[in-house]
Amino acid sequence: MRATYVKNTTSGRIFDFFNVVFMVVLAFVMLYPFWNQLIISFNQGSDTMKGGLYFWPREFTLDSYSYMFDKGNLGKGAFISVLRVVVGTVTTLFCSGLLAYITTVRWFSGRRFTRVLFLITLYFSGGLIPTYLLINSLHLMETFTVYWLPGLFSAYYMLLISSYMYNLPEALSESARIDGCGELRIYVQIIAPLCVPVFAAVAVFSAVNHWNSWFDVMLYNSSGKWDTLQVYLRKVLLDVEQLSKLMDEQRQMEGMRKLTPASIRAATTMIVTIPIILFYPFMQKYFMGGITIGAVKE
Amino acid sequence: MEIQAKTGMKQTGFKGRMNRIGKRLYKEKELWIINLFALVWVGIFCYGPMYGIIYSFYDYFPGKSLSESKFVGLKYYVEFFTLPDVWLIIRNTLVISSLGLTIGFIAPVILALLMNELRSIKFKRLVQTISYLPHFVSWIVVASIIFTMLGSEGIINDVLMKMGIIHEPLKILGEGEYFWALLTSANLWKGIGFSSIIYIAAIAGVDQELYQAGAVDGLGRFGMAWHITLPGIRPTVLLLFILGIGTLLNAGFEQQLLLGTPATREYHEVIETYVYRYGIQQGRYSFATAVGFMSSVLGLMLVLSANKISKKMTGMSII
Repeated sequence: MRATYVKNTTSGRIFDFFNVVFMVVLAFVMLYPFWNQLIISFNQGSDTMKGGLYFWPREFTLDSYSYMFDKGNLGKGAFISVLRVVVGTVTTLFCSGLLAYITTVRWFSGRRFTRVLFLITLYFSGGLIPTYLLINSLHLMETFTVYWLPGLFSAYYMLLISSYMYNLPEALSESARIDGCGELRIYVQIIAPLCVPVFAAVAVFSAVNHWNSWFDVMLYNSSGKWDTLQVYLRKVLLDVEQLSKLMDEQRQMEGMRKLTPASIRAATTMIVTIPIILFYPFMQKYFMGGITIGAVKE
Repeated sequence: MEIQAKTGMKQTGFKGRMNRIGKRLYKEKELWIINLFALVWVGIFCYGPMYGIIYSFYDYFPGKSLSESKFVGLKYYVEFFTLPDVWLIIRNTLVISSLGLTIGFIAPVILALLMNELRSIKFKRLVQTISYLPHFVSWIVVASIIFTMLGSEGIINDVLMKMGIIHEPLKILGEGEYFWALLTSANLWKGIGFSSIIYIAAIAGVDQELYQAGAVDGLGRFGMAWHITLPGIRPTVLLLFILGIGTLLNAGFEQQLLLGTPATREYHEVIETYVYRYGIQQGRYSFATAVGFMSSVLGLMLVLSANKISKKMTGMSII
């Protein structure tokens, strides 16, 4: 837009050139690390160790992937990860949306109280250890429930959704109420369908968060019964014992001798990252609106 | 509605008031049932742990109840400051978050300004989209990429050695003195694009007529960026900086746990990782709760005062 107000000087053109070069370098720095992992995951492990692998796999193989799925139990991890994303996102979307709805009903007497009670949680929490002890005393350790129940309501999502709901005409829900429609039905059938843009933004945040979280898995599921993909990757990454166990098994198998920890790690990284990249175009369409809604009060 | 209002008018005194409240609750019964569900949840999962802070005043061990535990007062709060590595942890926390508040804060502003100068809208959008991709992957993925690329067999050492700049692979990961630089770079790589979004939005909000006026007054491109764009986004920059001060005690947590090794402990251990190590891994629940509580009270005080300063200086606040 504003370029139209500016004369095209020589120094301006030189600046433009270097600016574009800078942006290309930036894009490269952002993308190449992923590409590097991708080619290592597709290249034969022992060949990668020779070095000089920059832009294209030299000895193409899918061994690392098939090995991780066969021996590393990645299929199970992927299933639990997807289940966590779906259950976690659907429940938090429904419940945080419902909370946002009841706090936007203007004549509801508990509205302010509830809102304040939730907003406090944005600024202060009991901390890591008391939460851990609480989860323990509720017998939520080593369960799938621990992935979605503690995140069922979110004050932050409530803020985002309710700032959107405030702009809906009140007459919509009032007329339904006069017709004898129940509150839950007003929320599900009238309000929620009008809030699709903000729900989409919140769904993106929540889904990415659930997909990427690993600390609570490590904390509350130390037995490994409900391990998600992220935790599998962490084990390949940091758990030397786990990795050498995997490698020992692998040495006994014919044809798998050329795998290395680096190639296994790269394959696992790609399996964790690819869903994010696949959904990325869809995601970025919605989250942009989300981060600016209700961020600043004037 | 009419009848309710009428009967409400007639009744006075305590009984009448209770009656009116009862009627109101009856009218709102569906909302209250839903609300009760939310209140029970927030009571257990948010206020439960806040109550749990009380453990820090007792000699608490799991399996014992609070009444069986011995009350020790501020013993663990005092103990924290007598430990030899306390200053190390405070130093690391402050250094890491200060690096984030300087380098990690200025870089997205500069990026947004440079992106604004791009002439092709399509190219700008493409670069922008690429720049915030790393925000959406987990720290485990980032750690894995870092281990692969910066390891002794990684591509960075490979290229540097082929170019003859170094003869031995650099041990970037295991050495403590590289850790702050490594962590700051990793934070920057992951966050620069996403943090710049808000500035790009602010730049888009600058009044276009100002540029027109600037052109009339003979401002060049640099002049416009300096005299129009930058002052235009100043409130946003100031607000985010002040709010950043509020998070000075949160130096990150996942990064340190994943990228740190025992060899770098002297440089990576911050308050939050310390709480985790003592509390969860060594089972010193009361002590770790005390440390965590102190840090979050200080953090809250920082947030509140940052908010107050922001309100005074920019007229904007978050609370």
